[in-house]
Amino acid sequence: MGEIKAMTGNTAAAVGAALSRPDVIAAYPITPQSSVVEYLSDLVHNGSIASTLVATESEHSAMSVLQGVASAGGRAFTATSSQGLAFMYEPYYQMSTMRLPMVMALVTREMISPCTVWGGQQDAMSVRDAGWIQLYAENNQEIMDMIIQGYLLSEHKDVLMPVNVCYDGFYLSHLVERVDIPEQSKVDAFLPAVSFDHVVLDPLRPMAVDSLTSGEVLMRYRMSHLEAMQKTLDVLEEVDEKFYAAFGRKYGGAIEEYRCEDAEFVILTIGAMTGTARDAVDYCRDNGTKVGLIKLRYTRPFPQQRLIKALAGKKGFAVIEKSVCYGWNTGPMYVETRSAVSETLSGLSHFSAIGGLGGADISLNHMISVIDTLQASLNTPGQKQTLWLVKE
Amino acid sequence: MNYIQTLRTAKDVVTPGMSACQGCGAELILRRVLQLAGQNTIVCVPPGCLGGSGVVGWDYQTGMEIPVHIPLLTNTASYLSGVSRMYQRKGRGDVNIVCVAGDGATADGGFQSLSGAAERNEKILYICYDNEGYMNTGFQRSSTTTLGSHTSTTPLGSVISGKEQQQKYLPLIMSMHNLSYCATASPSHMADMVAKIEKGLAWSKEGFAYIHMFSPCPTGWLYDIDQGIQIARKAVQSNFFPLWEMENRKYRMTYDNKKPISIADFVKDIGKFRDLSEQDLAAIQSMVDDRYEKLKKLSSEADCNE
Amino acid sequence: MSERKHISPIGQEGLYVLDTASWRTHRPVMDKNTCVECGICLSYCPVNSIIFNDENKYEITYNYCKGCGICAVECPKKSISMVAEGGEDHG
Repeated sequence: MGEIKAMTGNTAAAVGAALSRPDVIAAYPITPQSSVVEYLSDLVHNGSIASTLVATESEHSAMSVLQGVASAGGRAFTATSSQGLAFMYEPYYQMSTMRLPMVMALVTREMISPCTVWGGQQDAMSVRDAGWIQLYAENNQEIMDMIIQGYLLSEHKDVLMPVNVCYDGFYLSHLVERVDIPEQSKVDAFLPAVSFDHVVLDPLRPMAVDSLTSGEVLMRYRMSHLEAMQKTLDVLEEVDEKFYAAFGRKYGGAIEEYRCEDAEFVILTIGAMTGTARDAVDYCRDNGTKVGLIKLRYTRPFPQQRLIKALAGKKGFAVIEKSVCYGWNTGPMYVETRSAVSETLSGLSHFSAIGGLGGADISLNHMISVIDTLQASLNTPGQKQTLWLVKE
Repeated sequence: MNYIQTLRTAKDVVTPGMSACQGCGAELILRRVLQLAGQNTIVCVPPGCLGGSGVVGWDYQTGMEIPVHIPLLTNTASYLSGVSRMYQRKGRGDVNIVCVAGDGATADGGFQSLSGAAERNEKILYICYDNEGYMNTGFQRSSTTTLGSHTSTTPLGSVISGKEQQQKYLPLIMSMHNLSYCATASPSHMADMVAKIEKGLAWSKEGFAYIHMFSPCPTGWLYDIDQGIQIARKAVQSNFFPLWEMENRKYRMTYDNKKPISIADFVKDIGKFRDLSEQDLAAIQSMVDDRYEKLKKLSSEADCNE
Repeated sequence: MSERKHISPIGQEGLYVLDTASWRTHRPVMDKNTCVECGICLSYCPVNSIIFNDENKYEITYNYCKGCGICAVECPKKSISMVAEGGEDHG
């Protein structure tokens, strides 16, 4: 066991990044991410870590600097939120299509308008098809652990893709929890120095990076990217096992199932709301309701096979999300979950629940109301109306 | 060694056959910059005439004998900041980190990242080839396009004719970023241009070096393809494109123009100025005179390269 | 060539070269009787088609010359003339 400390989610992310020995950290301040980079700036300015710090004039440049770093063979880190992510979208997309490894803490926040600086997952969900690996942490320990795991996954020869470690703005970023900090020597053993060389800008090995490419050839790159994304489903499970062996903590890979085994129906959650959902499941179980919980940890790649297995034999599911999917009148992961289990969908009762937008709370009562609504609908298969988790 | 001796022995690292137009000023600039930078160089060529001319390669082939990347239109300077920082970390600060970017990628969409990298004094040589517009996409106006110019987004109409604004004078703006080195250059004055590229490369090991180059464009400006150097020369002789440099925070005119020719003389053979009104011509002349006077006041020395 | 992996889009299988000589409508022809070997033409050629050869002379090459004519205009001795393609081969 390493050192135990109480810290915010942002500090946990920063410590996780520092332990991963990035070559360059580049970032621009934005609420609620700023303290991640402030913490790392302190470490650099006090000589506690050997990373280079580049305080850019924008998120667009932060991602661009790191693209340069990775294409020169370096390990890169940044953190952002919401509008910052939107502003960096241009190099963000290219980071993945250039297949450059890095880890970015995405401190999730609602998108404007109306004007807001508070929580939500709309920012991360809006870029789910930008070719990045996206995973969501439930608590501060998981944030730190997944930053470290993220690098191993990102730089894996069968993956070679950037990773977003997403966690709820304010609910985790500013919440203080107990965190077990891994020892540096153990992290070094778990995460070797950068070794990817599938692309490099180096006069000793001249090549063109991003030559103009015809459609037929471009499709080969897309096919390979998609295949690597599917391969990642196996690699992330291996990395989870490897992390368990090194540090004694295990997260279950792409999804975590909680009290699902004998469950009649399940709710699905993403990120910090899962803690509340666990309590709701326990409460309803105590009252004889056979409900289980699936925590969706990875959304990219989407864990279709694991969801098919986890939902096999269940009578219904509800997906609770802090984001919306325009055009479907539901949350985005609801659409993808029902698509994943499309072969058995006709026998299931299911719906989307949306809450927590713009920093609103998803309370224990909300969770119980989702469970009660789902239970009441189990005998009539099909999609039910989207449930908005607002104040009564 | 004089500049011609230098050029005739410096290896060209760019593909011999690229799709820049006949008589393209930018092709000349690209080849000269990279001949002088040599093999130990990483270059970025953002979208634009050069980025689209095949020098970054096609499919599995490359367009150069040195590492080359086409960054975004908007992030050349920040992308190269990252490359430069990594080469500092590797203890390989001798590698030239260079870009050759058009005025759109420099003065417009790419300006934020350029200004940020310049302010951070990143170790980069940034070359802007200014052909006064988005030539690769069909000659649209940019912020460096001259007043009255006919472009595809400032057409000659019955109500509005040509560009309605004066150009943004980027090199002076760049020099105010406390740069290591800042200069203007014209291919017509090749000895001066070669000297400035060499200085820029040397200064880029200390910090951010910026050179703004006049890049005549036969296709967009509508002049005969053999006239590019003549037009560039007249741009300098008319003070339309004054040659100066800033080194160690001291400004210096590198071409002291004792008897400038008129702007009317400069524009007369250039098609994009064919319907320039008297008022526009007077306004450009006035702006040019005013700018030249300001530059002379900034300059501390009188000596020139040529 | 080993099987391509298509991970990052990279070009490293030789140089991409366009046949720019085929664009030419006129070719520059140098009169060696009047040429003073100043090298101005070499310095201004956008394509680097003018070389300083093994005999220490400036020479026009035609593999990539686009025929822009800048060399002819800039030559201080007017030693370069532009000749229509399709006539006698000077290459």
